[in-house]
Amino acid sequence: MEEARECLREGVLNHLNVLETEALVLSRQQKLCLQQQSRVDDLRITVEKLRAHRDQLKARAKTTMSLQQLKAETDQRNEERYEDDNSEEGCSRTGQSLLSLLMVRRTRVKDLLQAHHLIGGYDVTETRRGKGVSISIATAFEGLYLETYCLELDLSRAVRICRHNIPPFIPLEKLAQVHLQTDLIGFLSTLSSHLNAFAGRRQQICLIQEVLQDSVEVMESNMLFNSVVLMCTDSGESRKAMLFTLVYSDLSRYLPTKVTIDSEDKVLPSTPQWKKSQSLLLWTPAHAAFQALKMEGQIA
Amino acid sequence: MDDSVKQVLRQIIRRIPSNKLRNTLSKWEHISKKQFQSLEFTQAKSLLCDNLLSLCEENELSMKHVTELEMIYRIEHPAQGSWNVCQLIDPEEEALTVDSLHFKESFKAHLKCLINHVSVKMKKHEDDALWIRIAWGDNFTQPNHLKPTYVVHNLQTPYVFVSGLTMKHRPLLHQALVQSGHYGAVKDVHLSGRCLTALRDLLMRQYKQVFPVKHPKLLEEKTPLPRTPCIEIEDTKHAENRMQMAAEAFGEGILPKLETAVYKLETRFKENEMGREEPFRGVVKFASSNLLESLKYCVSSGMASAPVTPLLSSITQKGRNYFVITDKGPGISNTPGPKI
Repeated sequence: MEEARECLREGVLNHLNVLETEALVLSRQQKLCLQQQSRVDDLRITVEKLRAHRDQLKARAKTTMSLQQLKAETDQRNEERYEDDNSEEGCSRTGQSLLSLLMVRRTRVKDLLQAHHLIGGYDVTETRRGKGVSISIATAFEGLYLETYCLELDLSRAVRICRHNIPPFIPLEKLAQVHLQTDLIGFLSTLSSHLNAFAGRRQQICLIQEVLQDSVEVMESNMLFNSVVLMCTDSGESRKAMLFTLVYSDLSRYLPTKVTIDSEDKVLPSTPQWKKSQSLLLWTPAHAAFQALKMEGQIA
Repeated sequence: MDDSVKQVLRQIIRRIPSNKLRNTLSKWEHISKKQFQSLEFTQAKSLLCDNLLSLCEENELSMKHVTELEMIYRIEHPAQGSWNVCQLIDPEEEALTVDSLHFKESFKAHLKCLINHVSVKMKKHEDDALWIRIAWGDNFTQPNHLKPTYVVHNLQTPYVFVSGLTMKHRPLLHQALVQSGHYGAVKDVHLSGRCLTALRDLLMRQYKQVFPVKHPKLLEEKTPLPRTPCIEIEDTKHAENRMQMAAEAFGEGILPKLETAVYKLETRFKENEMGREEPFRGVVKFASSNLLESLKYCVSSGMASAPVTPLLSSITQKGRNYFVITDKGPGISNTPGPKI
């Protein structure tokens, strides 16, 4: 009170001024305090988060380490098993060793797939987080790799082909109706034989056009190469033109099912020599058969 | 040579641009080499046309020969007018073995059965495609050669590409195609565009598609995205991922050239506060000089979200560019498109 009275003596306004400054200082201090508090809280949360992350990483590292160890152990055990025949007793069936055995099997299957792909089998890749697979089918003819075709399957509900690059004249829809749901491997193998046969038929025509271009002429062929007309000249004196019609009604084979020979000279196709070449064409790829005929001097 | 032949020839010459006239005429076998050399290609087109007409008269050419000239030009330059695609379905056994000679004869016979006055001309192109030119008349008028329909079909494939067909003649053409090709029915694929080769590549899957494989080859186009050095490390992986996604959805290298994609929307408002009963209808149309390329760039550059929405990837996967989206199906409409 004394103080206040003294202040009043100096003037009310002055006293108010002093009070105001004091209030300002106080509020500033309070604000600072609050800010510091919230910052501490934030930092604490961050620390917690980082700790949780560290623990997670630690756990992951630990499991990886133990898995690797297990794998090494099983590998060793397998080696031992190869060395020692009666190793059954050494294999304790705990959960962990079961897991490692499964892992070994998985790597083996992967290796097998890889090997299968290397010798021309399908290449299978998982897509869309396991909901689909992408399968590529390589085609080859006489030891030469030709196009690779791919198809992507959706496995989430029923097996469905979502996209592919197989040409439209391959009866994919029909094959899929028969096999796709029940027998995937069967489906792939029939598809593969269709594709390989198509590639083979096309390659034969390509080879004829390349190697035998001056003696055999491709008169007519279609996109599926299942009906081909070839022309060549008989090497006899009259030099008659011979017309070969090859029909491939079995689309999964690269050999024709029917060969007809036509000529202006009606007698010529029924001579034993041409009869023989007709059957030769049924059993040998066209380019090889015509090459043989040329070597023998039957065609010019 | 009567007046109608002259008129048709004039129109054909008018439609062929001057710089392509020489090349086209050189492939036309009905004027001799000497006659061809006598033509002045630097002249105005109308003069040239008069000269050509006199040559034709000299050679006594008929409508058959004159329309062949138009066919030569159309085959060489197929990207004209709008091409629509239809698909033949339910093939019979014979569909895989029918040969072009047989098809030609039976197509002509079937069409002539259906309509009295019709003129059909066919030519097999080098790439095994069969080109058919049809000039339609009706029971009382001669075939109109000024507005022919062009049909392109590869035997053994189910797709038929059609240009310049009126609604009136559509059922006739379809019936003739189904019968001579040994199919059960025909349906619309909902794919159209100016560039015939693009449509064909898309449906016959002759463009370069990208599939996820174990040993991926490097994608050809790795450079186009501009990069800032500071964000490169973080960004590279995302960018590669986006590129892969874009390539898987739309293909790689030169993409088929489509101009448009149309989405017809037919939906109801979920919260029916406005008391509206009739559906909300809208049409979204994408147009570009090369639509697939544009869409691919949108994805690879990060402008569109990375797993491509099925609405867009359906263009390549289903081979169609007209969609109707209704409420029933979550994704794509139930209007039939090409199978598989």
